[in-house]
Amino acid sequence: MKNGKFGKYGGQYVNEVLMPILIELEAAFEKHYKTPEFQDKLNTLLRDYAGRPTPLYHAKNFSKLIGCKVYLKREDLVCGGSHKLNNALGQALLTKEMGKKRMITETAAGQHGLATAMAGNVCGLETEVFMGVKDIKRQASNVKRIKLLGAKVTPVDIGMGVLKDAVSDTLRKWTTCSQTTHYLMGSTVGPHPYPEIVATFQSVIGKEIKKQIVKKEDKLPDTIVACGSGGSNALGAFRPFIKEKDVRLIFVEGGGESLEADNSAAAFKIGKPGVLHGAVMQVLQDENGQIKPSRTRAAGLNYPGRGPEISGLVDSRRAKSGSAFDNEVFEAVKVMARTEGLIPALETAHAIAYMVNNKDEFDKNEVVVLNYSGRGDKDLETIMRYFNES
Amino acid sequence: MNLENKFRELQNKGEGAHMPHVYYGDPHEEFSLKLLETLVENGADIIEFGIPFSDPTADGPTFQAVCERALENGMTPSRCIEGIKKLRTKGIDNPIVVTTYYNIPYVMGVRKFLDKIKQAGAQAIIVPNVPVEEADVLLAEGKKSGIHPIFQIAPTTTEERLKKITDIASGFLYVIGVEGVTGVRESLGDSTLKLVQRVRKHTDMPLMAGFGISTKKQAAAVVLAGANGAIAGSAYARIYEKNLKNPETTLPEITKLVEQIKQGCIEGYKQRK
Ligand SMILES: Cc1ncc(COP(=O)(O)O)c(C=O)c1O
Repeated sequence: MKNGKFGKYGGQYVNEVLMPILIELEAAFEKHYKTPEFQDKLNTLLRDYAGRPTPLYHAKNFSKLIGCKVYLKREDLVCGGSHKLNNALGQALLTKEMGKKRMITETAAGQHGLATAMAGNVCGLETEVFMGVKDIKRQASNVKRIKLLGAKVTPVDIGMGVLKDAVSDTLRKWTTCSQTTHYLMGSTVGPHPYPEIVATFQSVIGKEIKKQIVKKEDKLPDTIVACGSGGSNALGAFRPFIKEKDVRLIFVEGGGESLEADNSAAAFKIGKPGVLHGAVMQVLQDENGQIKPSRTRAAGLNYPGRGPEISGLVDSRRAKSGSAFDNEVFEAVKVMARTEGLIPALETAHAIAYMVNNKDEFDKNEVVVLNYSGRGDKDLETIMRYFNES
Repeated sequence: MNLENKFRELQNKGEGAHMPHVYYGDPHEEFSLKLLETLVENGADIIEFGIPFSDPTADGPTFQAVCERALENGMTPSRCIEGIKKLRTKGIDNPIVVTTYYNIPYVMGVRKFLDKIKQAGAQAIIVPNVPVEEADVLLAEGKKSGIHPIFQIAPTTTEERLKKITDIASGFLYVIGVEGVTGVRESLGDSTLKLVQRVRKHTDMPLMAGFGISTKKQAAAVVLAGANGAIAGSAYARIYEKNLKNPETTLPEITKLVEQIKQGCIEGYKQRK
């Protein structure tokens, strides 16, 4: 990694106001992250507050259905209900080290907003969360949680009122207050050093997987499957295995309703390299370079860009990309609920749907780790509405 | 006329330069052409010609709405470049500086894009989301195409960066006086004037101050502080957006504002010791 470039992806495409702040952030991360004091604070919070390590669960019933041996990495059991807290705690500690008093962020599914509000309270930092008006509606339960924690929720009603718009407005806001306020980026997106920082904090997932799977299977997994848009839970799981060339990495993005007519979020299938929100990414856009809105029922996958590192991994064929359509995703929720008694987040259900749809891709003796990124409580109403209507 | 000659001409006349910023195609092309003609006839020295982008993260609400409308009405980068040609055909000779976000030239191919705007009659380009760290391509291709990449300086810019930027810049420097995005602001904080003075110590290159300028007084203040001129953009859009059905009816009010801002640029210069 050089200057945050992953092949043709990445970089620091921001205006001059923010550039000095990014340089300062990178320096702060390099200075503090490795110190025993920082590690100690972070690990203590991850253990005692977040509930790590999360279990690696052998899902026997789901395994039988797919026809291989599937382990679920239970990020749904992280306090707050998703992997997002791993990164939020890390960046909140970093915010304190930098002497900043406030954090701003954006959220779509509400999981990252919730995680940031939690981390903010734990670290004594004020938190403001930008959220698209459409997402505020469809992820109402998380909005309530965030507000109960005392964070300010700022509705974003530009564009389609979804994640892309919330990121744009958070960047604009940050331009006015970057010297006192940290932008706690929620995924492995944005200008360098964000993709690096977020992937580093999330890689606790993969480190745990490595230890746990070796203990259970006496070998590395054959395959890791993860859903994603920016790529933070996927990279968190993948990172310690990127150099292990025999481990297959599968990344599942949001197919939306169909791949046609702006009804999808599948940037690997129908996007191309472009510059958005500070970096070159694989991104949905028209032939002139205007960014297209993405669509999927999973708010957390509803972003037109794939982060630089996952874009690079797919481009170099180290990772394989797949997608799942909305209807398949709802069915996958049901499959997981009926086989293992677990209700996954709609985002997570994309990874599940991929396995259900592509059973032939998995051998009988294959050991697969599915990164179970979050629980579905936040999506309950959407899920019930889908099944009642169809 | 090229930028160097324009700045020299104004210096000889003892005036500051005014550069209005217009996103092309809002609410439609014919109006943009009329607007730009009106601005040039009544005081604009340089044109900042904006090519609309879907996600203008350095722009405030006024210009966001402007970009959205222009794109909804079918404006494309190619039609914008044709628009530059139309201005030249009309005999407008003022320097034209194109502003857009990096994805537009990136997708077309940076070299091809720069060649096209050069052929159409532009002299320079502002890409707000390309800092010096990412400017290698723009600098190299700009040199080949004969287009100046314009760099910005902000209140957060350190001395070290200031040196880096002034070392590679050409055409002029764009001084962003406030920490924030484009848009009209009530008052121009001390920060703008201080920044102009700070940058002036580093370089003799022309400085254009922008972001938040909408009045004669503000224009005069930045020129007095040492800037070669003032940039105003959202202030004009705020006038014509009041009547998007018949934006032409707002041209008299726009004429008045451009005259005033230009007057400010002149007075600011005269007030210098
Ligand atoms: C449960 C869950 N999984 C996955 C994601 C997708 O984000 P990322 O690609 O950063 O993992 C989200 C985002 O909100 C989420 O809430």
